Amino acid sequence: MSTVLAGNGLIKKYGTTNALAGVDVQVAERESLAIMGPSGSGKSTLLHTLAGIIRPDRGQVLLRGERSEMEIPPAEGWGRVDHWGENRLSALRRKRFGFVFQFGQLLPELPAEENVALPLMLEGVPRRQAVQRARRWFAPLGLAGLEHRRPGQLSGGQAQRVAIARALAVEPDVVFADEPTGALDQSTGEEVIRLLTSVTRDQGAALVMVTHDAEVAAHCDRVLQVRDGRVSGYSQYTVA
Amino acid sequence: MRSPVLPLTWHLTRSSGRRGLQSHLLSAAAAAAGALILLTLLSAHLGSGTRADRTAWRTPDAVSAAQATAIQTLGTTYVNHRPVTVVSLAQLPNRPDTPAPPGLDRFPAPGRTYLSPALANLMDRLPAGQLANRFPAKTDYGTLGEAGLGAPEELVAVVGRTPDDPAITRAPEGDALNTLAARARVSGFTGTKPSMFTSFDQQAAVLGGALLVVPVIVLASAAGRLGVARREQRLAALRLAGATPRQILAMTGVESAAVGLAGGLLGAVAYTLLLPVLTWVPYGIGTWYGELWVGLPWLLAVVAAVAVLTSVSAVSTLRGVARSPLGVAQQADPRRTRLIRLVLFVAIGLYVTVTAHGGGLSTGQSLALIVLVYGAFWMLGPWVVDMLGRLLSRFARRPATLLAARRLSDDPRGAWRTVSGLVLAGLVAGFFTVGQVGIGGYDCPGQVAVRADHGKPRELAVQARELLAKARVKASVETASADVWDGILSGSKGVVVHVRGGQEQIDTATTALSSLSPGNLPFTEDYVNAEGDITTRVIGEMGLAVLALGFLVAAASAGLTAAATVLDRRRVYGLLRLAGTPLKVLDRARMRETALPLVVLAGGTTATGIYAGMKVNEMFHMETDSSGAVRLALCVALGAATMFAALAGSRPLLRKVTAERAQDPD
Ligand SMILES: Nc1ncnc2c1ncn2[C@@H]1O[C@H](COP(=O)(O)OP(=O)(O)O)[C@@H](O)[C@H]1O
Ligand SMILES: [Mg+2]
Repeated sequence: MSTVLAGNGLIKKYGTTNALAGVDVQVAERESLAIMGPSGSGKSTLLHTLAGIIRPDRGQVLLRGERSEMEIPPAEGWGRVDHWGENRLSALRRKRFGFVFQFGQLLPELPAEENVALPLMLEGVPRRQAVQRARRWFAPLGLAGLEHRRPGQLSGGQAQRVAIARALAVEPDVVFADEPTGALDQSTGEEVIRLLTSVTRDQGAALVMVTHDAEVAAHCDRVLQVRDGRVSGYSQYTVA
Repeated sequence: MRSPVLPLTWHLTRSSGRRGLQSHLLSAAAAAAGALILLTLLSAHLGSGTRADRTAWRTPDAVSAAQATAIQTLGTTYVNHRPVTVVSLAQLPNRPDTPAPPGLDRFPAPGRTYLSPALANLMDRLPAGQLANRFPAKTDYGTLGEAGLGAPEELVAVVGRTPDDPAITRAPEGDALNTLAARARVSGFTGTKPSMFTSFDQQAAVLGGALLVVPVIVLASAAGRLGVARREQRLAALRLAGATPRQILAMTGVESAAVGLAGGLLGAVAYTLLLPVLTWVPYGIGTWYGELWVGLPWLLAVVAAVAVLTSVSAVSTLRGVARSPLGVAQQADPRRTRLIRLVLFVAIGLYVTVTAHGGGLSTGQSLALIVLVYGAFWMLGPWVVDMLGRLLSRFARRPATLLAARRLSDDPRGAWRTVSGLVLAGLVAGFFTVGQVGIGGYDCPGQVAVRADHGKPRELAVQARELLAKARVKASVETASADVWDGILSGSKGVVVHVRGGQEQIDTATTALSSLSPGNLPFTEDYVNAEGDITTRVIGEMGLAVLALGFLVAAASAGLTAAATVLDRRRVYGLLRLAGTPLKVLDRARMRETALPLVVLAGGTTATGIYAGMKVNEMFHMETDSSGAVRLALCVALGAATMFAALAGSRPLLRKVTAERAQDPD
């Protein structure tokens, strides 16, 4: 099982708060990793750091498949994400990562299919093609027939599934999800998680998901426990 | 049970921190600006009325011969294009004493001349042959006080005469120009007809007010919206905590009314402090004495109106949040606009065109028409925005354009509100810069005319030549009979002098000829064109003020709306940015959603304005001035530039709110 994304010795402070106090984490290809822990333990900070949204104070974030350029090696073919400038990070997030947040990430005036097509259009895919490619995600996610609905006309679970489609549309290497079911009821959340993990895996992407719900985490291959900015334990690999 | 609304509101306001304070300050500033502008226009209106009333004594109500105690004549003479009002008064013998006219402490005795300070000043500066010699007394003038003057700049003389003085007996009795020259038997100075030079000031102020009131309302409500955008999250949290929608609306209403009230009061204070400065702003007949103060009741009414507007707009903005506890201001259905808007627009347009074509409208009617035209555009605007949005979203290729297009048809009313100020200002601009409103004048430069109501023109011409030679004026003198209608005398018999030389020579000739036909002051091109010139000038001044203020207000409300929009959508913008959407795309979409309707609508209304202006010119048989179009282009370009500057002003805000960590309630 080869690693696609790794964080080594990650430290992040906010004033006197140690949001990350030395975290090591590896994300393998196609695996799903749940990050669990109590509120304020640093889960979101870790996810944002791995996703190139937050720059750590110390430590490295390494992504496979990037040219290293002037970076000090650990190895050729790995990018030091934590060294990159904002523009390059922004492009990286757009092209190689997908994101699912708790709620409110869809543009309310765009029909669902255009919300999904947006990242493709941003990459320069012509509009018609982008929308066609976006539509392919609707059936697998149980959204068939909702292509023209606007987010306001969707239920919470449907909106989250549209968000999943948008995260996957660019065919990313890693999908990041921060409490993707935090705003949903139990059974709807269950369904969304099932789809998120299975479709991500089918797509061939890794999934990094923050949750504080053990039942949600149970859908993942591996669970990382975080407490006070440190890794307090790994669950076992459950992947065959 | 005591309602928890007030304490909760207070808590909410206090705990909203520096951010909340900033938005309160911004809303209050907008409300203050709105109140200031409204109060300024109101004082222009009320002040014009007050000062016009102070000129009414010059044309008092005539009484019967039996009741009369004095005879009064009114004449107007021009010096260097400025009108001098000359009032002659003669006490009738064996009648009770006539009271003193306003501005004098006694009724003028024969031979006494009283001058307004501005006229006395001008006389000191000009050679006697150009001005002073027009009056009987050469020294020892009395002073006409403030009570008899409309403005400090007014040139007015009051001359005491005997009732058998030819200047009294031969003065024309009320005729077509009776606001410039008249004679009447009077017993006092109570009159209702103000001087012609003041009469249009008030109407133009109403016009300006009517045109600016809508942009100001938009500004005040933009202020209300901004306040809500800042508070939305907090209110949503309260909602989650169990506050009822009603309580939340009440809290918002109370809070934004307080902010609007504070802003309105600030505007009122600013207005009060600025009064001395406003007094120096010339408008119509000149600057002001103390009549610009609107009085406490009006002041409070404006403040209250601004507070109510702010509050109402805040509450109506917040309706959505009160319903959805998650605070996502999502509306289920796009608010479609219906075709009926276009139909009504066309209907109103036809009605206005037909009505205006007849001409001869009173001020009230013209005002009603302007309000109608405004209303028509207000109705059409959202529909056009909607259409534009649908059209664009069909053909958009780039993400920024698509986002802008979808937003336009998602909330056409909101998009329209943002641009409405400038769009309507464009309408006004088009009209005022192209329409040379006014009555086409006679073209008789260098001519001085004297009517010969008494005596033969031929004899007058001989005397005129002598008088002019003595004054060393080079001129040719011709006589005109009563059947010549297209000359300066337009149907009266008299003499016409063609003066060679500049304005000084004309003034000298006018002075030399002032005793030629007693009771009939010589007059020039300025005199015969007086009414049209005044109208044109006052409308021009008001037009300029409306334009400048309109553009400023429009830009300010566009800026506020843009800021409110960014705040409204900070979550989705922030998350999109996290997911790698370039800020540039979001910003470009934001700009386009304003620029596109602006170009289409402002272009349309400006063209309408130009068309209306040309029609008016046609009605008065005037050439359309092509420099007007250039000025217009400049105005609109400037307005648009100001607007985009105001929009760009919210760019740092966009950067900031999207950089904030997405606040996921854990
Ligand atoms: N932008 C920030 N500024 C200050 N403190 C922050 C910021 N982001 C996170 N923190 C703090 O860092 C700690 C970890 O936060 P977070 O990663 O959001 O926790 P979790 O997602 O596990 O609830 C918390 O104590 C939080 O208050
Ligand atoms: Mg978190």
